[in-house]
Amino acid sequence: MKGSYRIRIRSKRVSYDFTLYRNITIIQGDSATGKSTLVRLIDNYYNEGSSSGVKLECQKTCRVLGGKDWEHNLEAIKDSIVFLDEGNKFIKSDDFAEAIKNSDNYYVIITREDLSSLPYSVNEIYGIKINGKTLENEPVYNEMYRIYGSYTASRPIEPVMVITEDSNSGFYFFEHVCKQSGIKCISAEGKSKVVKHIKAETTDRILLIADGAAFGPHMREVMQYLKIYTNYMIYLPESFEWLILKSGIFRSKVITDILDNPSDYIESSEYFSWERFFTALLVKETADNKKISVYTKTGKLSNYYTNPENTNKILNELKNIKLL
Amino acid sequence: MLKVYFGDMEDSIYNTSVRFDNNYEDSWINSAIAKEIIKDIDNSEVLSANCIKSEVLGQISPTMLSGGTKTLLLIINEPTEIFNASTCGDNCAKWILKISENKDVIINLRHIMDFGRENFTLEVLNNNKIVHSMKELLPYASEYLR
Repeated sequence: MKGSYRIRIRSKRVSYDFTLYRNITIIQGDSATGKSTLVRLIDNYYNEGSSSGVKLECQKTCRVLGGKDWEHNLEAIKDSIVFLDEGNKFIKSDDFAEAIKNSDNYYVIITREDLSSLPYSVNEIYGIKINGKTLENEPVYNEMYRIYGSYTASRPIEPVMVITEDSNSGFYFFEHVCKQSGIKCISAEGKSKVVKHIKAETTDRILLIADGAAFGPHMREVMQYLKIYTNYMIYLPESFEWLILKSGIFRSKVITDILDNPSDYIESSEYFSWERFFTALLVKETADNKKISVYTKTGKLSNYYTNPENTNKILNELKNIKLL
Repeated sequence: MLKVYFGDMEDSIYNTSVRFDNNYEDSWINSAIAKEIIKDIDNSEVLSANCIKSEVLGQISPTMLSGGTKTLLLIINEPTEIFNASTCGDNCAKWILKISENKDVIINLRHIMDFGRENFTLEVLNNNKIVHSMKELLPYASEYLR
């Protein structure tokens, strides 16, 4: 499945209106915000249709998955939006991750647990809040809000140290840039090791750069640390490859169209996360370009990306973050 | 004192909502602390053991209370069991601390619950260490939730 899907669902008492953009969406937050009520309405409508008293508008079938026979039941679900309420222990299992990996469904998972087997985006972790009640007899209107967001700097910042989650091409790029301006740059060597560095580094004004497209499972832990270690700033582009594509180094209408609306191009059954899609897109773009070598994520970054002109183009995407 | 076991725990009850629906008793709902919790977390008023007035949902049965409230009521009323308190949002943290003020309470956490900026006391059961703040708690929570 690809595309973004608006879901409008209402009963006499309560209504929800939200849009899904990717294959995996997480809903969490405080108790009693209406998460389980949402799942109950979806289930009522799927089983009883409009006779349930629930009204649902969505281009795709919405249904609920849960219980002991989830694996068997999931096999029969295609091209649908699948909701999972908390209380389903299997969501953290490798079996579940494997089952949804090449699936053409989108999944909305209600949980506070960090699902490290799933590569979900920091941008697709939502809470639910009441946005008011328009008239006395109208249902209470609920909307979803992003709990984290992209953390683009709202005011100019000049870090004195940079930590990248990436240990490959992204790290090479930022190390190259930081060397020129005397900024210390280290790699955390993976998402799960970021916290170790947050605890260890005491320098003021440290910039942490991670691939937002798959950093969702680590976000709650990192943000808890950043409440205590206030010397940190965090920047979460989709991925380093997304930064390169976004920078305009490769000008093409196709790339611009994709970046304007990635949901419409990223097939969930082919790409488990947007991070993988953007890497594949950059590889394809460079494979078709005779001027430069084919991009590799793990190999040494080509000098093409670190020449002054292209370095500046990439850095311009880091709004308000001064590294040079 | 509050005692927390982080990560997978064989003996803990994971699906607290189902447990509550099949096991709650009228006296649980009518207790003073239940009324306070239901007011605070669910913004609802207990009318009777079987009827709760919710601002949003109208008159509801206790089985339609939030997952967090159900778990808090289980922790209070079934002290010999250990419950998955990751069904509780951060807005339940102060209640978990309050419930454990005068008695030992064991909970299982599968996520990092934010117990707030104020000092508190809890024991991490994975290593039997006592902590008094989120700064002290975080390294252990991180370690045992991997």
